[in-house]
Amino acid sequence: MHWFESQLLALNKLADKYVVSQKKPAANIVKSSADMRESRGQFIEAVQALVDNVSKVKGIAACTAYHDGLILAHSKQALNIDAFGAAVQESLHAAQQSAEMLNLGDIEQIVIVGTTNKVAMLSVGPLMLCIACPKHINLASALRQDI
Amino acid sequence: MSNIHLLNTRKSQSSEIDSILRNLMSIQGVSAAAIIDNDGFVTHIHRDSEVNTDAIGASVQVVFGAAARSAAHVGHHGTNMVICENTEGYILSTPIDAGFILALVTQRDALLGRVRFELKETIPVLKKLFSSYLAN
Repeated sequence: MHWFESQLLALNKLADKYVVSQKKPAANIVKSSADMRESRGQFIEAVQALVDNVSKVKGIAACTAYHDGLILAHSKQALNIDAFGAAVQESLHAAQQSAEMLNLGDIEQIVIVGTTNKVAMLSVGPLMLCIACPKHINLASALRQDI
Repeated sequence: MSNIHLLNTRKSQSSEIDSILRNLMSIQGVSAAAIIDNDGFVTHIHRDSEVNTDAIGASVQVVFGAAARSAAHVGHHGTNMVICENTEGYILSTPIDAGFILALVTQRDALLGRVRFELKETIPVLKKLFSSYLAN
């Protein structure tokens, strides 16, 4: 398993851990609050680390993470992050409608390919991770490169 | 339940509320995190610069009340968050319980999604803490 896959897997595990911490019956509110905060902190830190690492990959133009279409983490080179977020949310909404009609299940990935650039959107827990690159870049092999 | 036990419970809940505000302050661009009561008084605050707490408390309550009323006029019941976008940053306010409001003041470089995500995730916990705190 290459670094991106393993980091994505770790991120999904942290997202699950956070959901579990939210659902735990709270006999001690203070402890459960502290546990939730810690799990959430670990998840967000891992998101930022993944965004930073992806943006170091040669050929990747930008990497961002959104929650409900609003920016949560971004690489230094990301431009028009608010417009990008709105587009992400709209794409997700359209994809969810199609997924429902076609019985696809929950959305895992959306890829939009234009004549010059392309964007991959990956669902990670409650967030969407977006990776932008020029059209000719093979994202799968680019993300296999060591950073 | 003994008075000492109640006192200890309140102390640990109050200290957890402080930890929550400290955690919110650690988010990039957040310059103040405050809890405001129904009358517009600040009950808890963490800030990285001098701010007029009385003015913040009163204005957050007024703005939130106005937003909730305008939402009600268009048939939207239950205001979950009010976001003021200003030239220098944002003010986000979210209701907790019994008229208490959590307000965050941020600078322009704050990541709105990050701050909003943290607020949305924090509110259910704060609601539980407050209902237990107010019940004791």
